[in-house]
Amino acid sequence: MAGGSGALALRLLTTSSAGAPGKDSPLAGKRMGMVIDVGKCQPDCDKCIKACQQENNVVQAAAHKNHELAVHWIRKVTIRKKIETDEKAKKAEAAQKSVILVCNHCDNPPCAQVCPVRATFKREDGIVLVDHHRCIGCRYCMIACPYNARYFNFEDVEVHEEDLNKDRPKRSHGVAESCTLCAHRLDAVDQDGNPSPRVPACVEACENGALAVGDMNDKTSTVYELLRDYAVKRLKEDLGTEPKVHYIGL
Amino acid sequence: MEIKFERVEGTSFQYRVALLVFGGFALVGLLSTLWVMKYGIGRTGMTNRVPWGLQIVMAVYYIGLSAGSLVISGLYGVFGKLEYKPFARIAVYLATLFLIAGLLSILTDQGRLDRVFVQPFVHFNLQSMFSINPILYNGHILICLIYLWALFTERKRTTTVVATLAFGWAFCVHSGTGAIFGFGARVLYESPLLPASFVAAAMASGTALMIVMIVGLFRATNRPLDDELICWLGRFLAICVLVVFYFLFVENAYRFYVVELREAAHYFLFGGFHSLLFWIGLIFFGLVVPMCILFNPRTGKSIPWIVLASSLVIFGVLCERYVIVVPGLTNPPDLFPGMEIVHDPALVEGYATYSISTQEVLQALGVLGVVGFLFLLGLKYLELLPTEARIHPD
Repeated sequence: MAGGSGALALRLLTTSSAGAPGKDSPLAGKRMGMVIDVGKCQPDCDKCIKACQQENNVVQAAAHKNHELAVHWIRKVTIRKKIETDEKAKKAEAAQKSVILVCNHCDNPPCAQVCPVRATFKREDGIVLVDHHRCIGCRYCMIACPYNARYFNFEDVEVHEEDLNKDRPKRSHGVAESCTLCAHRLDAVDQDGNPSPRVPACVEACENGALAVGDMNDKTSTVYELLRDYAVKRLKEDLGTEPKVHYIGL
Repeated sequence: MEIKFERVEGTSFQYRVALLVFGGFALVGLLSTLWVMKYGIGRTGMTNRVPWGLQIVMAVYYIGLSAGSLVISGLYGVFGKLEYKPFARIAVYLATLFLIAGLLSILTDQGRLDRVFVQPFVHFNLQSMFSINPILYNGHILICLIYLWALFTERKRTTTVVATLAFGWAFCVHSGTGAIFGFGARVLYESPLLPASFVAAAMASGTALMIVMIVGLFRATNRPLDDELICWLGRFLAICVLVVFYFLFVENAYRFYVVELREAAHYFLFGGFHSLLFWIGLIFFGLVVPMCILFNPRTGKSIPWIVLASSLVIFGVLCERYVIVVPGLTNPPDLFPGMEIVHDPALVEGYATYSISTQEVLQALGVLGVVGFLFLLGLKYLELLPTEARIHPD
């Protein structure tokens, strides 16, 4: 099954990076996006982060000698209104929110625009990926990303054998990367070669239902329904990057 | 009157010591680069918050220093000031070396050096300034080589044509370098003024370097040099410095005036080590003091003073490159306007820090060593130096 999934992923990757949308491509017409319900995200919970690290062999920050070199495909921050006085501070304290940050898989991705070797590209279904075998490690994509969502594998850090997901590659040093929206899971096929998509690891791990990933064009998808029923915000919308990660209750 | 060029003997004690020193720098730089390649660029001062560091600062600085050729070729190729022709060979040779230095700095900064020589040529992206600039840099090196050939073979017509081409091309080179940052999405980068201000800063540092090199070489080898030639270059340098100052003023006044940029402007001007470099290194020593020297009727005609002012400009523009590259990255993007991040277990939120590592300094010195070493070899094996430089246009 892993082989079938890999073959399909490779085919999708090849057609997309060549920039030739195929009519029969299973990705055609799709527009993958994410909805994050800030109100449902529990402050002390980090299951989505751990699941992402485990799934994608992203090394935990603790394994890095320098904390600032750690890679975070998904991270969580606590925000509150800017405090001007002590009185307001107390109110603001109560109104803290936990916000999940991932790659926004922009419709107009600046990271892909500036990549000198086209290693970063947008698939037909809108997922922004990096070809690790092509990236030269110039880090221009990190400069261009207005969300600080890109990370660089500064050094080789080994994952412990017992933590290694053998179905996924180890992270390669000297290349930039970010959340893939678990494209390998979304592209999975069954033994007969029929599509058998699985939700991304972070969505699967979230017990509170704060995360949803799916095709925003598919009227039967959870993402579509959430976008239809709730007012959502996106980060730095004024830049025109058209991010596809939406926040409810931000 | 025919200008004669000659090689230096290259047998003096000073020459050999200089050759050894620059060769040593180059060797140390090579070892440092190999070390960084072995252990990863995580061993430098760069982090995921500040993914560009001293190597990029030095790359844009070296590219800027190559502009001395732009000035000299512009003076006699475009504006017909033939009295500057004696300096053309040195200017173009130095420009070639500094362009190579810029490329070397960029190359040694890549995460996957093994792919740099293949992937950019196979998967070209015309939307990326990182794809466009190597064409400009390599094209400029090629033009410089043709230019040198025309100068060495004394082809007057070809020289004029190539000098004009080099002049125009250099404008594109320095504008393109500025566009790497100016066309970016970071608050302290994004500015249509940046390509133009890069041209001005490049012309200032390039002219200053030419003054220091010409005076140094002519004095060291006891060659006659008319002071007026250097004084004129000094006055030209003063204008360049004034233009750099003007661009900096407009840029920062704009940031302070526009409400949404005010916080970033405040951080840029009063936010830490980079602000010290800005005010003391760039504004005071790099621009104000040189302008005082160069615009003063007495010191502006004194060669030692002009050389001092030029040295300060060379240092000031290095500070300018640093305060463009680094604070633009340490200043974080405002992801949640009106909100503040109070806790982030993954990253240190707020303003990031960057410390220059020893490895980066050694790499930068190594590139300088390559330039110095090749320049000294050039003096010995190529007829670069004129026997004299006087005001006597043909």
